[in-house]
Amino acid sequence: MAALLEVQDIHTFIGQFHILQGVSLEVPEGSITALLGRNGAGKTTTLKSILGLTPPREGKVIFLGEEIGGRRAYEIAAMGIGYVPEYRAIFTGLTVEENLRIAERRKGDLKRKADFIFTLFPDLKRLYRLPGGQLSGGQQQMLAIARALVPDNRLLLIDEPSEGLAPILIQELMGAIRRLSAEVTVLLVDQNFQMTSRLADRYFMIEDGRTVRSGAMADLLNEPDVIRRYLGAVI
Amino acid sequence: MKRYRAFTAFILIVGALVALGYGLFGPQKATAALLSGLTLASLYFLLGAGLSLIFGLMDVLNFAHGVLFMVGAYVGYTVFGNPRLILNTAPLFLALAVGIIAGSRLAPLIPNRRFIPYLLALAGVGVTLWGIRGFPLRPLVAFEPTTAGGAIPTALAQEPLSRMLLRLGQLALAGLLLGPVAARWGREDRRAAPWRSLALGVGLTLLAVLLLLGRDPLERFLLGLSVDVRFFLALVAGAATGAALGALIETTLIRPFYGRPITQIVLTLGLMFAGAELVKFIWGKEGRPPMAVPSLFAQSCRSPNLLAWLTERCSSIDVLGRAFPTYRLFIIAVGLLILVGVALLLKYSRLGMIVRAGVQDSAMVEALGINVRRVFMAVFALGSALAALGGVVAAPFVGVYPEMGSIFQLQAFIAVVIGGMGSYTGTAVGALVLGLARALGDTLVTTGIALPGMAQALRASPAVARASTVLMMAVVLLVRPAGIFGRKE
Ligand SMILES: Nc1ncnc2c1ncn2[C@@H]1O[C@H](COP(=O)(O)OP(=O)(O)OP(=O)(O)O)[C@@H](O)[C@H]1O
Ligand SMILES: [Mg+2]
Repeated sequence: MAALLEVQDIHTFIGQFHILQGVSLEVPEGSITALLGRNGAGKTTTLKSILGLTPPREGKVIFLGEEIGGRRAYEIAAMGIGYVPEYRAIFTGLTVEENLRIAERRKGDLKRKADFIFTLFPDLKRLYRLPGGQLSGGQQQMLAIARALVPDNRLLLIDEPSEGLAPILIQELMGAIRRLSAEVTVLLVDQNFQMTSRLADRYFMIEDGRTVRSGAMADLLNEPDVIRRYLGAVI
Repeated sequence: MKRYRAFTAFILIVGALVALGYGLFGPQKATAALLSGLTLASLYFLLGAGLSLIFGLMDVLNFAHGVLFMVGAYVGYTVFGNPRLILNTAPLFLALAVGIIAGSRLAPLIPNRRFIPYLLALAGVGVTLWGIRGFPLRPLVAFEPTTAGGAIPTALAQEPLSRMLLRLGQLALAGLLLGPVAARWGREDRRAAPWRSLALGVGLTLLAVLLLLGRDPLERFLLGLSVDVRFFLALVAGAATGAALGALIETTLIRPFYGRPITQIVLTLGLMFAGAELVKFIWGKEGRPPMAVPSLFAQSCRSPNLLAWLTERCSSIDVLGRAFPTYRLFIIAVGLLILVGVALLLKYSRLGMIVRAGVQDSAMVEALGINVRRVFMAVFALGSALAALGGVVAAPFVGVYPEMGSIFQLQAFIAVVIGGMGSYTGTAVGALVLGLARALGDTLVTTGIALPGMAQALRASPAVARASTVLMMAVVLLVRPAGIFGRKE
């Protein structure tokens, strides 16, 4: 299967700092792919580089067969990439409804997707008219994901969705991500290896801004020392 | 909860100011001061709204905002009283714009050498100077507000058509040279539809030629219109000029420097001085007396109440036995109208929703697939239009003079700081607080405080009136460092 997204040896600078020094990855259509790495490895920067928020200086990003390096972030997003940033960056001053509506790319997007969104996150229906700032952490995370589902996206970039959530909520979140992955391809970053290992089919591991390993998640699970070494996680 | 406290602070401050006024001066003078305060507040708000929106959304401190206020006032004043100046200069600007639009499409044909943009810019400026050389600015500007047609007969003041057409050609050529530079500088969207620039170019060319060919009948027509219509045209022309200038400033001075706030501040500060000098160069150092008011505010009489005023159209109205100019009520009404209109726009339109979201996190808005830069430009243009509208509205109240921009801008900045940078409600509140403080300060100077046992009232020096606004800011910032509606730093 041809990859939906291909990242080839990108280098990204933030100010003077050479943060990404050769990240490559591939996301096949219709799957969940995990991007693994320790704190500060460059996972968030990789997602932002794909989206053009921190444009890579070298290397290629290919989405839907087109090279998208150098385009503005809004153009890239409008090609069908939804971004769920870390720290659940919802708009606190906007109501839940507005947080969803603002993501519309065509009139009626929200109407079309409402049922799907509310079956995934029933709470949002009840909270529809509340300002986003009054939602709990878990609810805000649900809203951030729901927002990325409003337009017809082909790919979701989800960054640290489980951060700061209670274990019970993480279960709920996993269920939601699994169900939405039937509709849209996911590139998932999360420190919670229990969660990513159960959700993802494939993984890419980065360290110090470089891709160092990749493969099937099932194989990685058989290598506890690799997991300990790169992620500091124990399974 | 935060908001609740902000509102409490607001009510307390305004309550204290009003109580102070009534306590010191009694109901008659205090009410007059209150209304004067509202008038000033309205103008501060028209300026401050744009400042605050632009800062909130783009983190840009636009020191050129006062220039837009002043230019609005001058353009409105000129459209109202001396349209021949507009009719003879607007085609030149249009020709330059057409040239730039055409030239920017030629950008890809220009070889990519470092020195070429400098060369083109130099040549473009040179040709521009050639195009405006010897332009009869003085005679065209000279006019007397009372006699239509001006101090110098139009036929003598303006140049023959052939000479003007030559100038159009020269300026279009200058634009053609500057266009590629502008395109690279402004980092225009690469895939803007070509038919759009074509349509725009043809439209502007037609407009320029029509204005020029029809300049004599048009002038007679415009001056023959009633004061009310001319006033309305002045409002529209002022606001439109503001919007166009705002868009131009955003694309040329702000957009290439996002993320470099110091550069933006220096550039807009530079524009503030340059703008004032340009206005002095065109219209002269001295100001002009207040512009004539529409007929609704023109009869020299005093109406007993609002209802009577609507039929009598008096220039002043009785407020507790004192005369208050009715035109100032109009200023207050315009301020309220814009306050409500922009609030509705922010709350219910998609643009407003994007602006509110962008104030919090513009990168996230862009990540949703929204062209945030275009929204920035729209907001810049809108804010500039409001400032320019404020200038036109102020012209019959304070007249027009080259310093009006920086004076009102300073007050608007203080209002925005008092209200809380980036908060729309805060700006309205800050403008109100500041207007009231200033009006109280003025009253303190003109009437003084009558203390029992003293033969003469204790009068403050005029400096007190000017200091009152700064004092107000100091008090508010002591209590709420981020301003009344400001978020924490
Ligand atoms: N604005 C910045 N200026 C300088 N360095 C930065 C900046 N942003 C990120 N970095 C550095 O880039 C590296 C990668 O950061 P990034 O946020 O991509 O890591 P991450 O893998 O997402 O980490 P985490 O698990 O903590 O979210 C880190 O070492 C970080 O310190
Ligand atoms: Mg991160």
